[in-house]
Amino acid sequence: MSQSVANHPVLDPLLAPPFPQAALPMLRNPQLRTNVAHAIDVIQAKRFRLVNEKTDWQELRDAASAIRAESLRNLGFYLVQFETQCTAAGGTVHWASDATEARQIILDLLRQENASEVIKIKTMTSAEIQLNPFLQAAGVDVFETDLAEIILQLGDDEPSHIVVPALHVNRSQVREIFARRMGLDNLSDDPQALTAAARTYLRQKFLKIPTAISGANFLIAETGSVVVVESEGNGRMCLTLPRTMITIAGIEKVLPRFQDLEVMLQVLARSATGERMNPYTSLWTGVTPGDGPQSFHVVLLDNQRSSILARPVERQTLKCIRCAACMNTCPVYRQTGGHAYGSVYPGPIGAILTPQLMQMHHAQSLPFASSLCGACYEVCPVKINIPEVLIELRSQVVNQERHQFASIFDPMFLGMKIANLLFQKAWRFHLAQRLGRIGARLFTRKDGWIHSLPSLGAKWTQTRDLRALPSQTFHEWWAARAKEAR
Amino acid sequence: MSTAASSASRQQILDRIRAATRTSSNGSAQFVEDHAALPRNYVRSGKLTTEARIALMIERLREYDAEVLESTPENLVASIRAQLAASGKRTFVLPQGLPVDWLVSGFDWKVDNGLATADIEQAEGVVSAAFCGVADSGTIVLHHSPTEGRRVLTLLPDWHLCILRGSQVVETLPEYFDRCKRPPAFHPSDGDLSLGTPALVTWISGPSATADIEMTRIKGVHGPRFLHVIMVRDDI
Repeated sequence: MSQSVANHPVLDPLLAPPFPQAALPMLRNPQLRTNVAHAIDVIQAKRFRLVNEKTDWQELRDAASAIRAESLRNLGFYLVQFETQCTAAGGTVHWASDATEARQIILDLLRQENASEVIKIKTMTSAEIQLNPFLQAAGVDVFETDLAEIILQLGDDEPSHIVVPALHVNRSQVREIFARRMGLDNLSDDPQALTAAARTYLRQKFLKIPTAISGANFLIAETGSVVVVESEGNGRMCLTLPRTMITIAGIEKVLPRFQDLEVMLQVLARSATGERMNPYTSLWTGVTPGDGPQSFHVVLLDNQRSSILARPVERQTLKCIRCAACMNTCPVYRQTGGHAYGSVYPGPIGAILTPQLMQMHHAQSLPFASSLCGACYEVCPVKINIPEVLIELRSQVVNQERHQFASIFDPMFLGMKIANLLFQKAWRFHLAQRLGRIGARLFTRKDGWIHSLPSLGAKWTQTRDLRALPSQTFHEWWAARAKEAR
Repeated sequence: MSTAASSASRQQILDRIRAATRTSSNGSAQFVEDHAALPRNYVRSGKLTTEARIALMIERLREYDAEVLESTPENLVASIRAQLAASGKRTFVLPQGLPVDWLVSGFDWKVDNGLATADIEQAEGVVSAAFCGVADSGTIVLHHSPTEGRRVLTLLPDWHLCILRGSQVVETLPEYFDRCKRPPAFHPSDGDLSLGTPALVTWISGPSATADIEMTRIKGVHGPRFLHVIMVRDDI
């Protein structure tokens, strides 16, 4: 069994260790890295093929980006329009400022229904507000119905990806979890058999449990409709069979018009799973007599989104449609997997979203968990300039730290202050160069390389060698050349 | 129920949003204009001939492991009979709005005049019509009219036979959305939504599938494992 399954990963940004520390056990877990790399290779190859077959991919990205930006620009209007239309169609809209309010609203609704059990469609927003442990503690049994979510729930594990949350678990690990938790000793590790086991396990739950919770991929302002994009049909089951449906959605999920889906549905599946279209997409509007749940609630969650909206550079974070293309292409995510990010939102989007959801009070190591290579921006179907936001957040983190008293003794800030002094005058800089050359001689080996530096410098030379400083600076060479010419 | 709390939160959230975006809740004309001005330079209309469009739809459906059979309108009932016979199944449900001659003899039919879930669950298969087919992605779109049935009807049975007419097949997804602008013949919410947009939609692209275990595609998790399509060539 992999370490990540044995040691419960911490995805609460309040409690999670900083990224570099959390990444270490992942990097030392060859099984996990193999699993993650395999899954990502498969998705990437499919995505690449299907994006390339689209002749209008860049135009679709432009449109998707513009639609999302406009939704955010006029968010207040569209949310009220959504509320009006959804209410007119028989739904009830609730507003939650933060996670605590959202959880309480959902629990109150469940209590009204006397629900002791609830079935769930995969929703990252519910993971964000840590809904499951809250409901369990309040005496409501929660059953996840997405295959990956069942694997995680039964394996007491946490999601490491927002689209394929169990991509870090391989088939033999799934077999072990299912055999143990479903009491199926003779289960094989064939994915077909494992999937069949999940189907049987859930069928009765679908037919019996009258209350369901879902997330939303999109809310349509013009009609008050909700859209859920899925593959397995567990979503359709939850949207159709129960008496009561509760949907939790971030306030940023709204799209102005039904027709906007003609763009979003084309870019979402291709970006997320490398399919032309995912097997099932469902749209419903309030309550339809005789078809599906007759009681329908939407919980609109702010949870810091409105403060992200107020910031000009960071606002684009809210354009995200949660396709996960950025994490699939990220060289850092590929090495560490998702748990190292200490949040339900990993990868590049998690690196910018999580610290903002925490008002920059936690998860400050995440904006640094990137090489700024820009691959995430290139694949993003709604053109979020993630590197730009990363740099903005880095500067905020540095500013926070700069103003702390401890920064006086921090070697990085001390170094920066010294550099600041040196760069102010040319003579200081030249003097530093000369002294540096003398100092560096102590560490330069005969082969002309510096292999190891003491104290802080060791952080650099741990993984790389440095060339010795040249015997002459450019300025010195130029001056000498001028002298010779005379 | 925390109604008072929720309404206080509502005001607070909307105030924060309006402060962040510097807009008021009024002036909807401005938003309509804003939205209309967005760049939409992607492909709207397809360029294929009718024959090529239908061929692409069939090819894409087959890529999803759906079984597709072409039929003339005259031959439709015989085609349905052949598909049902080949399925080896006996009990079928179908929506109440379909022509009675589709209920071919030799099988047990349960017409959905408010069937109990258990009855639908026990049926081995379902026969339905569709609203539209999108060739580009091999997608079948259901609007759940009386010929397409309630959502649960095409979900619980393991085997789905969908009757799609050639005239319903468009090439691109935007063309499907164009079709939705026309007032539909039937609307579940009785024309409540004046724009002609449907209240219920299911976009189906191949049978239920998952790739959650090592990205291996497995057919049939919860929805029907078998999707059969009869393509009725009313377009020729």
